[in-house]
Amino acid sequence: MLRKEQNDLLTQTGPGTPMGNLFRRSWQPVLLAEELPENECPPVRVKILSERLLAFRDTQGRYGLIDEFCAHRGVSLWFGRNEESGLRCPYHGWKYDVTGQCIDVPSEPAESGYCQKIKLKSYPLIEKGGVLWAYLGPPDKRPPEPVWEFATVPEKHRFVSKRVQESNWLQAMEGGIDSSHVSFLHRGDLHNDPLFKGAKGNQYNLGDSRPVFEVVESAGGLYIGARRNAENGHYYWRITPWVMPAFTMIAPRGNHSVHGHFWVPIDDDTCWAWSFDYHPIRELTDAEVSAMRNGKGIHVTYVPGSYRPSANKDNDYLMDRKAQKEGRYYSGIAGIAMQDASLQESMGPVVDRTKENLVSTDNGIIMARHRLMRAAKALADKDVTPPGIDPEHQKVRSVAIVLPADVPYKEGAKEALIAKPGVAPASV
Amino acid sequence: MQSESARMASAAEARFRIDAPNSKPRAIKIISLDRPSDRVIKRLAEATWNHASFFTASAFAGAPQPGTNFSMTGWLSDVAGRTTDLVNEVDSADLVVMVATAGENASAAAIIGEACSVSRVNTTGLIIAGSGASDDALSKTLAQLRPWSLMLVIASSDEYIADMLTALRA
Repeated sequence: MLRKEQNDLLTQTGPGTPMGNLFRRSWQPVLLAEELPENECPPVRVKILSERLLAFRDTQGRYGLIDEFCAHRGVSLWFGRNEESGLRCPYHGWKYDVTGQCIDVPSEPAESGYCQKIKLKSYPLIEKGGVLWAYLGPPDKRPPEPVWEFATVPEKHRFVSKRVQESNWLQAMEGGIDSSHVSFLHRGDLHNDPLFKGAKGNQYNLGDSRPVFEVVESAGGLYIGARRNAENGHYYWRITPWVMPAFTMIAPRGNHSVHGHFWVPIDDDTCWAWSFDYHPIRELTDAEVSAMRNGKGIHVTYVPGSYRPSANKDNDYLMDRKAQKEGRYYSGIAGIAMQDASLQESMGPVVDRTKENLVSTDNGIIMARHRLMRAAKALADKDVTPPGIDPEHQKVRSVAIVLPADVPYKEGAKEALIAKPGVAPASV
Repeated sequence: MQSESARMASAAEARFRIDAPNSKPRAIKIISLDRPSDRVIKRLAEATWNHASFFTASAFAGAPQPGTNFSMTGWLSDVAGRTTDLVNEVDSADLVVMVATAGENASAAAIIGEACSVSRVNTTGLIIAGSGASDDALSKTLAQLRPWSLMLVIASSDEYIADMLTALRA
């Protein structure tokens, strides 16, 4: 459980909040690059960390992320005309460049210089790995560009998607480090999902539904190891890295791709669940990409024209009681992503953690909360740079590995836990 | 029309949730296995806890030798120094947390773990591994705790224990 003030601290990420400040110190994924596909394409509304912004790509291909609303009369610039190196408000023609600087106020004489006095709030927006990343923090604290491995491999090695989740970011992220639910909620998918099935590790998973967990702090966050019995006195380990504040990875299976998530607050009631698959040393096959586009693995299909999952709370997530009874889907919901999201959204927008009853297998979640609170306090009190910003913290991998029983996994999998270009992932 | 899932997951519906206790207290016994951990436990015990009690097993020097008389009553102490019976303490626990410091002797974990295993009581091992702890030191302590811990946590500082106990409603 958390006390109410602790729950508020962790779940509130708007401007000026301690957790909001912590998020604002690192690059956040805000758009897929495909959402701004060409110069002078339509602008896109972006809501992140409870701030309403507008992203656009100007005539020269520069990305801008600015306050959504015109400084003149408060019109949404989503209606704007993206033309001649700026975004022009269609109401009275005020025009802004990618830095939010007003560059034209038609009603005022150009020589008056009035437009120089108008500037919308703006944030840096960069493209990396098919994702547009924004930095919403203090300009003098701007960190190095993100180096997450999925964003650095060749384009054909990766697939990235996103979906809206109608819950606070923390209950979504906590699902990403809650390894103990996999043996129940997702058990049907180990047999059926083309992006998981066939791996030898699945046999260990299905043969031992009571894994033992070890939680180890890392420089950037945590490693959560789930241990199951393997042959000849060995253990099968599935190791989940969490990098602060909102990056998680899932241990791989066989030669399937590696995958993981970012959980980025839109506001305090909704978040973006970013999902990525990649393989460090090979291109994804057409069949894999097709499966991902069709909602297999950790991805979803969408309501047309949106990033809202086609199974959502407005259609009861397409609950299939027959499949639930037959064990094809343990909860009756199809697809790993929506199996998680449906349950997390059912908790309500912000779950009341004063009422929960955690048990010892929840130590990964308890430790993550502990580290987040500690980092938010250190940032607020002493301006200590939070973990996860150092590029070295971002060079992590999830691992599935068989180790002798007496070897600590952090030692036995030491090299495998570090992302190294051109090196195959440790996977069983 | 909104689906039932959409309506029931709204913030407006949250106010109709049952506001009544949904659990009974669980007894959590926290046992330090070495001298540095004793100090941590004693400091923690000064705070107010509802369902946590604190003990030390650091006087225990090692596993009993075959053929020697061994009593469970002689080596577990509460923080005031009064000896207490391990089996009785374990029997009345819902969870036993063993606290060790990386590099220290944690052999008492075997005795406590055995008692917990017999009584079907859940165990959590918690190793405090400060920044100065070497991999070898950690491995040594880990090897002693791992066989007897259903959950194992390696924390960089002892601050975590209080947060963990609060999270577990201790």
